[in-house]
Amino acid sequence: MSFKQKNIMVTLVNFSLILLFYLLRVSQLLRNDNFSSTPIFRLWGIIIVMAVFVTIAATILTHIVSAIIAAIRTGQKNPKIEDFEDERDKLIDLKGTQFTYTASSLGAFVAMLTFVFGQPPLVMFSLLIFFGVLAQVMGDITRLVLYQRGF
Amino acid sequence: MAKSSISNNIRTLRFMHSEMTQQDLADKVGVTRQTIVAIEKAKYSPSLEVAFRIARVFKSPLEAVFSYDEEEESI
Repeated sequence: MSFKQKNIMVTLVNFSLILLFYLLRVSQLLRNDNFSSTPIFRLWGIIIVMAVFVTIAATILTHIVSAIIAAIRTGQKNPKIEDFEDERDKLIDLKGTQFTYTASSLGAFVAMLTFVFGQPPLVMFSLLIFFGVLAQVMGDITRLVLYQRGF
Repeated sequence: MAKSSISNNIRTLRFMHSEMTQQDLADKVGVTRQTIVAIEKAKYSPSLEVAFRIARVFKSPLEAVFSYDEEEESI
């Protein structure tokens, strides 16, 4: 497994955990009859901050773990980690991003549909962030599938 | 994914060039080893630039490394 694949795998696991956390928090708010603008927008902020930090932390963590594994395997103090991007990596990344944008656009459309069914704006906002994180997860899965198949 | 209609002789050429490893070829071309694996298995068609760089490593013309199968394309 290449460095890029490991990095995507770590990001995928992290974003899946963020999605799980979000769903748990929203269900908790619904159960406690506390589904109002203040906790929902606070949750928005938490999710966005978590997403930014997770992306940075995932790259650093993958670097460290890859270096340790490579050092153990080769016995070298400073093993070479293949972390550069070639044209295939960039194309796979682009296809994943395309999938993410398509999924998040569809998600935004579904979220807007809630207005048609007379739901309050908070439902729309909650669905918007849910589909945003879900799209990221789906994009990462697409990237992993493409790496597994070759392209 | 369906194999592309572009086939190649990279594996044979590597063997003929003192059994060059995929990693050695990848380092000389400037791509990852996984990309060389995908090209060899005809799962990925490289850009013209990478194709020329591969041909240059083997000191062969492009046609000696890559070939375009028109029959497969028409199926």
